[in-house]
Amino acid sequence: MSDLAAGQAAQGEFRVLVVDDDADMATFLAHLLAGEGIRTEIAGDGSAALAKIRLAPPDLVLCDVLMPGLSGFDICKKLKDNAATALIPVVLLTALEDHDSRVRGIEAGADDFIAKPVRREELVARVRTLRKLHQTRRELEARRENEERMQRESLRRTFLRYISPRVADQLLDGRIDTTGAFRNLSDRAGVVALFADLRGFTHLSETVPPSNVVPMLNAFFTELTAAAHEHEGTVFSMAGDSLLVGFNVPVPQPDAAERAVAAGRSMIRRFAPIARHWLARHGLAAGVGVGIEAGDVVVGNVGAPSFMSYTIIGDAVNVAARLMQIAAANEILVGPRALLSLGRLLGRSTALDRREVALRGKAEPVQVVVLRVVPE
Amino acid sequence: MSAESFTVTIAKDLEDLIPTYLKNRRQELETLRSALSAGDFEQLRQVGHRMRGVGDSYGFGKITLLGKRIEDGAKGTDRAGIEASIAEYDQYLAGLKVVYE
Repeated sequence: MSDLAAGQAAQGEFRVLVVDDDADMATFLAHLLAGEGIRTEIAGDGSAALAKIRLAPPDLVLCDVLMPGLSGFDICKKLKDNAATALIPVVLLTALEDHDSRVRGIEAGADDFIAKPVRREELVARVRTLRKLHQTRRELEARRENEERMQRESLRRTFLRYISPRVADQLLDGRIDTTGAFRNLSDRAGVVALFADLRGFTHLSETVPPSNVVPMLNAFFTELTAAAHEHEGTVFSMAGDSLLVGFNVPVPQPDAAERAVAAGRSMIRRFAPIARHWLARHGLAAGVGVGIEAGDVVVGNVGAPSFMSYTIIGDAVNVAARLMQIAAANEILVGPRALLSLGRLLGRSTALDRREVALRGKAEPVQVVVLRVVPE
Repeated sequence: MSAESFTVTIAKDLEDLIPTYLKNRRQELETLRSALSAGDFEQLRQVGHRMRGVGDSYGFGKITLLGKRIEDGAKGTDRAGIEASIAEYDQYLAGLKVVYE
């Protein structure tokens, strides 16, 4: 919030700044306005007026024209040329027959004029009108702000279906460069894809009453989604018992592979208490299997006009899905291209469990690293 | 010759402001005299302009009238006219009686 906004008068209060080098005139105007229940401040010259306006912008400026230093025209022009003060109405006090002053006042952006000598009835009527306009403007502003807030919240809820709350807020606040985010299908992007699924799902659906399956799956997906968001991954799909999460999309993440591995570990650890509960209650052995691979994929909205999904399509996604299928409970299988980015995390440790696996659709076996996670 | 009396009726709610306002007018009278002695017509014009704007706002139409004469006289460097207006202003302030209602 700007200093100006911070100094804005409390809602509903109407404040007038009287600018006049003649103390008797200023006192007279303030007295009449006080009779209308209006809080008035007085500035004896242009510089003092501008300082007061900077500190706490009033709702109306009543300003004499001829003053030593800055004239009423100068003050008016300065206020109207500044976006932060341009909407503050300025009423110039001019002699009735002084047409030149009125023309200059209009050129300076004055909103209205009051003739000197000042007629009480005229002053009160004009200020009442401006006060009404001011209140209407405030009501409209409040309504617009409320609509903007609701739209933003609706947009945030939509974003939260896919991305972490932190990334959603950063996108909405413009803190993330969205150039290239939410790309069209014609765009390709380097992503790290993570697939995770539930080990023991077949057994679960056969042994647990159908009414319990959905709440149990919801508990599983809740923890996995939270783990994905914890590391700012984007959830692209949930189908059956599996979940697809992308990193480095829609916003760049230089450490996408590290994030994916950390999210996979977090998924396994978050699910562990639920697995223990299922085992105790249903005699069901369950765990999470994870596959991770990196590569260029197509990013975009896929579907029919009536139903679309924001998704990623490509070899990295297919490999991650197949690695997930091979992974045992509480294992993360990391594909060769994701491994290239994980040097810092995994090092060149020979202690790593490296395995060659044959993947459907691949002529040659691929070397993967198996990370076993011990649930805490 | 007894001083002429001028009775002006002012809104009751301005009662608290009038003593200060009139005190300032007496100072203003001295300013006008000094400016005239010095031949400072620009100051005379400014003071006349101010009298014109403020006088009738409070309810003192005569001060507005005298202010206009002084302002116009200053524009035309009409020393005699201004001198007469200042004298009239002096008499007015001396004989002024304010009634509030």
